[in-house]
Formats: sequence, C-alpha cells, structure tokens
Amino acid sequence: MDSRPAPSAAPAPTGLPARVLVDDDLRRSRLTVFFRFFLALPHLVFLALWSVMAVLIAGFNWFAILFTGRAVAHDLQARYVRYFAHVVAYLNLAANPFPGFAGEPGYAVDVEVAPGDRQSRLKTAFRLVLAIPALLLASMFGPSLGSGYFTLIAAAAFLAWFAALALGRMPQGLRDLIAYANGYLAQAGAYTLLLTDRYPSSDPLAARYGAPAPEHPVTITAEGSELRRSRLTVFFRFFLALPHLVWAFLWSIAVWLAVAANWFVTLARGRPAAPLHRFTARFLRYWIHLTAYLYLVANPFPGFAGRPGSYPINVSLPEPGRQSRWMTAFRAILAIPAMIVWSALANALGLVALLGWFTGVFAGRMPVGLRNLGVFALRYQAQFGAYLLLLTDRYPYSGPSLELPREREASKPG
Amino acid sequence: MPALRLWLVLLTLAGATAWGAAALALWQTTVPGDLNLPQFDPAQYLSGAEIERATDYQRFLGINALLAALAQLVALGIFAARGARFARESAAGRIGTGMLLGMLALAFVWIAQFPFALAATWWQRRYDISDLGYLDWAIGYWMQAGGKFLFISLALLLVMALAGRWPRGWWLGAAPALVVIMGMLAFTTPYLMSELKPLRDEGVAADAQRLAEAQGVSDTPVFVEDTLGLTSAPNAGAAGLGPSERVIVWDNLLERFERSETEIVLAHELAHLSRGHIAKKIAWLALLAIPIAFIAQRTTRSRGGLGDPAAVPLAVFVVTAMLLVALPLQNAFSQRLESEADWVALEQTRDPDATTSLFQGFVDRGLAAPDRSWWQELAIGTHPSIMRRIAMAEAWRERNPP
Repeated sequence: MDSRPAPSAAPAPTGLPARVLVDDDLRRSRLTVFFRFFLALPHLVFLALWSVMAVLIAGFNWFAILFTGRAVAHDLQARYVRYFAHVVAYLNLAANPFPGFAGEPGYAVDVEVAPGDRQSRLKTAFRLVLAIPALLLASMFGPSLGSGYFTLIAAAAFLAWFAALALGRMPQGLRDLIAYANGYLAQAGAYTLLLTDRYPSSDPLAARYGAPAPEHPVTITAEGSELRRSRLTVFFRFFLALPHLVWAFLWSIAVWLAVAANWFVTLARGRPAAPLHRFTARFLRYWIHLTAYLYLVANPFPGFAGRPGSYPINVSLPEPGRQSRWMTAFRAILAIPAMIVWSALANALGLVALLGWFTGVFAGRMPVGLRNLGVFALRYQAQFGAYLLLLTDRYPYSGPSLELPREREASKPG
Repeated sequence: MPALRLWLVLLTLAGATAWGAAALALWQTTVPGDLNLPQFDPAQYLSGAEIERATDYQRFLGINALLAALAQLVALGIFAARGARFARESAAGRIGTGMLLGMLALAFVWIAQFPFALAATWWQRRYDISDLGYLDWAIGYWMQAGGKFLFISLALLLVMALAGRWPRGWWLGAAPALVVIMGMLAFTTPYLMSELKPLRDEGVAADAQRLAEAQGVSDTPVFVEDTLGLTSAPNAGAAGLGPSERVIVWDNLLERFERSETEIVLAHELAHLSRGHIAKKIAWLALLAIPIAFIAQRTTRSRGGLGDPAAVPLAVFVVTAMLLVALPLQNAFSQRLESEADWVALEQTRDPDATTSLFQGFVDRGLAAPDRSWWQELAIGTHPSIMRRIAMAEAWRERNPP
C-alpha cells in the first residue's frame, strides 16, 4: 500500500521545474479587459521573437549539457519562461497590470524557476521524447487557437472576459484555474527548454494561490486514495467498468425523471423533496466513484450503490435545503458556463486516464500530480453535477485551490 | 431421518429422470433415424491438392485451438490458486467484488490466449483466408473482451445473489438464470450487429422469401454482412429469438457461389430458425448447467461457497474445466442440429447436386475440413465434416430418386 499523501492532506510537492505564485487582488479594469487582446499585441510580437531566441539557446544548451552537464544562459532562459507566464496571465485575464517586457520577478501571477543545477545527460539526450507526455498535457491547458476544443485557459478566459466586464472583478476560481494551467505551461517550458531536468507535475496543489478558496457545500476528499495501481485492472479498466456503465445508464434514466420532478417541487416549495434529493445524491456520488475508477484516479472497483464513505474518493453532498426559485427556474441555462469549464476539465481528465494507463500498466503506480489533477476534475464534476441536478444552488468553484488544506493556504502571505 | 433420506433419493432419481428425458427430447431431430450415411473417399469429390491444402490448414488450427484451451485452463488454474488476492482491488460489496474477480479471470484467459489467437490469424493470412491486418485484428480481439466481461458479470450477479440467499441450493436456480441471460443475449445480439446491409439481389431475395414461407418463418429478414477485406471464407448464420430473428449471409458467399448453392445456404439457416435451434441450444446449455453448477457448489464449499467472492476464481476454473470436459457432448449436439438443418435444406430444395457443389466450394474457397481425425471431431467439430455433409446429400438422393 502506497502511503503518498492524498490531496486533502498533502504538502505542496517540491522539486518542480517551476512554480506559480499568485499575488492578485482580483480587481480588473473594464477598459483594459475589453481591449485585452489588442493591448497584449506588443507582448505577443515580442514573445514570438524571444521564443525563437529561447529555442536556439535551448538547442545550444542540449550540446552544452551533454558535454559539461550544465546549461548556459540559465537566467536569460528563466526570464523567458517568466515572461511567457506573465503574458499568458495578462492576455487571459489572470492578472490586471500590463506586464514588463523583461520577465522581471514580482508580477501578479509569477513563476519561480528551478535553479540551474547540473542535469542528467541521459535525460537531456532524450529530452524531447521524455517531454511528450508533459507537452500533451500542456496542450490541454494552454491557450487554444482553433484547436476545436476548449483548453483550461481558453475556457476560463472566455468566461472571465464576460464576468470581468460585468463585475469589474475576476472570479477567483477562474483566476486560480488560469494561474494553475499557466504554472504547468511554465513547468513544461522550463523542462523542454532544458532549464532543469525536473519533470513537470500537474498537481494543482503545487501552486501558491493568493487567497483561500471559499467554502463550498460539495467537497471531495481522497483520504484513503493510494497511488499504487494493479497492472491487470488498469490494463482492462474500461472493460471492468462495463457492468458499471450499464448500471449507471439504467440508474440515470430514473435520476433524470427524479430531477424533473424535483425541479417542479423546488420551484413550488423553494426546497427540493428530500427523498428525491437523496436518490439523486446517491447517484451523483456513485457516478463520481465510477468516473474515478474509469479514469484511473482511484484503484479499487467501486460498489454499485454510491454509499458515502465506501470509496477512497469520497464525495460530500449537501442535505436538502432552501434554494433560490429564480436559480432553479433557469438552472439549465445558468449551468452553461460551468459546462464549458467542465468540458475543458473533462478533456484534461481524459488525458489523465491515458497517461495514467501507461504509468499504471508499466510502473504499477499513478503519478501524484496526475492523480491530484484527476481529483480536482472530479470535484468540479461533482459540483457541476450537484448544481445541474438541483442538489444545491451554489455555483461550481472552478479554482483548483479548494482541495488545499485551509489552514496552510490561509497562513500564506499575500 | 431414513424417510427424509428416502425422499431425497426419490427426488434425486426423479430429477435425474426428468433431466434425461429433457436431454433426450432435445437430442431428437427430424433427420430419419434409419439414415445411413455412406462412406466416400474425399478424392471422389475433391482434388488431391484441395484435400491436402484444406487438411494442412485445419490441422494447425485444431492443434492451436487445443493449445489455447490448455492455456486457458492453466491460466484459470493459476487464477484459482492466487486470484482471490485481487479482492483487495475492490471497494464494492460481496457481489461487486465477485464480479470483479470473474472479469479478472477472463482477463487472465485473454492474456493467455493472445498468442494462440495471433497464431491463428497469422495462419489464416498465410492461407489467404483472412485479409485482416494485425492491428485491426488486435483491436477486434481487444473489443471482444467487452462482451465476455459483461456476460460473466451478469452471470455472477445472479449466481452470487442466489448463493448468498441459498448457499447449498443455489445451483438449482443456476439453470433458469442461465436461460434468462442467454435468452437476453440471443435476443439482443442481432440488434448489436453493425454494418449489416439489406439483401439487394432480387433473385436471391425472392428465393429467401419463398423458402422462409415454406418453412413457416415468412417474416424473417435476410441481411448481408460486408466481409470484403476481412476474410475470403464464405459463411452465413442465423441469429435472434422471436422478433429479433434474422439470417445473415456474408457477401463473399453471394459473390462467389451459384444462386442454387446460395439457396441451399438460405434454406439451411432458415431451418435453424424454423426448428428453434437457438432456443434448443439455450435449453441444452441450461441442462448442462445443472450438473456443472452442482459440482461448482460442492468444490467451492472449502472457500466459503459461491456467496463469498473468494470462491469465484475457483468456481470459474471448475466451470471452465467442466465445459471443456463436456465439449465433445456439446459438439455432438451441435452437429445434430446442423445435420437437421442440412436435411431440411435438402428436403426443401431437392437439389443434392447443388448441395454437393456448395460443400466442395467450402473446401476449395474456405478451406473447410474435408474429413477430421477423432480429436479434431471432439475438440472443434461443431459442424459435420464436409464429407459427412456430402454423404447426407447422396443419402437423400438415394431415398428420393428422380
């Protein structure tokens, strides 16, 4: 049994290629938000030029590390990675101030880059091959231009643009989501550009977010979740989940009927019918267990009843309570932004399963970063499901910081 | 106490008699009991090269199938001894864990049989029977596992629920449970077959309609399966139960055989439906399930009975071993049904020449076995050998002179 810490109790992993730091007050200038893309154009041009230089230096460094074990111009390359993160944060509304052009530290969404230590020659020789999984994941996170699907940053920025224009503030969850994804891009960049041979981690708990996330009635814990994986069950995971998928399909038919009935009840009474609420909550919990199993976030075969506490990935759902009639009436429409975020997270979760399948089959383990990213995606799915299925009228929180231990996050400066 | 024992003996005897009577009833076919099949030398109907090529081809596949069965048994034996430890991979309850262990047993079998399935594909490609690429084959082989996993989990759901309630007597309920599952599978399978096309050849469609009406299954649809790029071996089949019944003909059969030969095939497949062969096969399996489930119940007692998931690996091993032991009987039963379908086709088409020519084509174009050795007959003889089928056509001709 693996004793690696679960998300709810884990300290932030160390030894990363880069780490994102958030020091942002969430206020946004409506004017600069409206014209953000055009305002960022000079940076994008400069970034493109600097990128060419960074790639050339990386090419030179490949030989340098193979011969001497060390890269040259580490500080310059670190500045590039930092500048890249600043531009991504500014362009995608995770930060408000116009960034400088020199990649100086101290920006509202900044990254710490690992120092220029000696690097393994073997890892350097095969760096581009080794970087493929990280780059794949980065492609799910990064800004998407015509890729045909929402990446995490694109989905969050798209929604944030409207929210910031309307409120003059950036929703904290969306800001943290962009910061997290930005941090991973910085890690992947630092690794691929040979600044360090530390491998990127997709662990959402590794970033340092500005403020603790607000309380939410739907939470997820992975207290009993281990990182060990049974190779046999991982290899056949989809087929092993087939009976569950059949059962879930049958159960879901009854659930949608229950939700439809509960919609009328909640509109009439201002609170859902308790038996229908419990029935739906059971299903949602079961669905999260099943998704965790299918996507390799958890190892054991789940039960079929969605009992609380019966699975390492445990979902806490609210008791039936008062809900806004207006929010109930328009729930399906109101859920659309959350669905956009979920679609981006679902893509990431799919990649977690794909990469986890290979590590599970060959190493018999799930990397902690992938597992914790999976837990984050599942938590959002649980909150989105609870909102859509009328279990709560609290909107899903898209930030990855909800799983951080509150006392640790609260004690941080800034 | 002695009275109770006497009742038990009487009940057992009555049950055994009922079992025997049911088996005998299922064994009966409309093939005349006094039909003596003449012995022919394959060389009378096939060239030496054809015989040699088909025999070589089938010999390898037969040996490969036997080795695959052996590998299956060894894999399940290992799993029976050590598989219970996989219970730690489950957070499900008693039945859920049992389902997981049952599916993992099949996973073991899948892995153990992979090299043999690969070898069979290689052999079929070598003889130009299969045109399937190795990647396509591997994907198909992988996907096949899905249906099996679902089947065993459903079977274990029912059996373990029964065993939890009646630890000693669950085996009596296993046969009806199996009938329910097999019936559901037989009913739904035709709807899950994708890429079937309607029969467009008007002449063949008219033949099919006429034959179906004559056999009393007039609403049976006939579909064509596209096998181009997959195999050159001709085939056809009957599937479904009740409203889902249908006949499926492979397009290579329609393209490479005469219409009179296709008519024989259609009459044969329709006979499977008109004579209720699919239901008979399910009933036969249900009959076999009774003693097999009884043996499984007795052998798993040492592991707490089949209500306990720890007993599932052993139960899967025992049931598989019993099914292998019963394979010759299964094949004999299957051959009787196939013979009956051949006989009905002969009676209906009254064309032994086309029948003989069809079976010659099966050897020439599909490398079907002209004759089989005894072990091939026991292990893979689900259909009568080609020479026995030709002999039946000749026997029919003798009884029905022009």
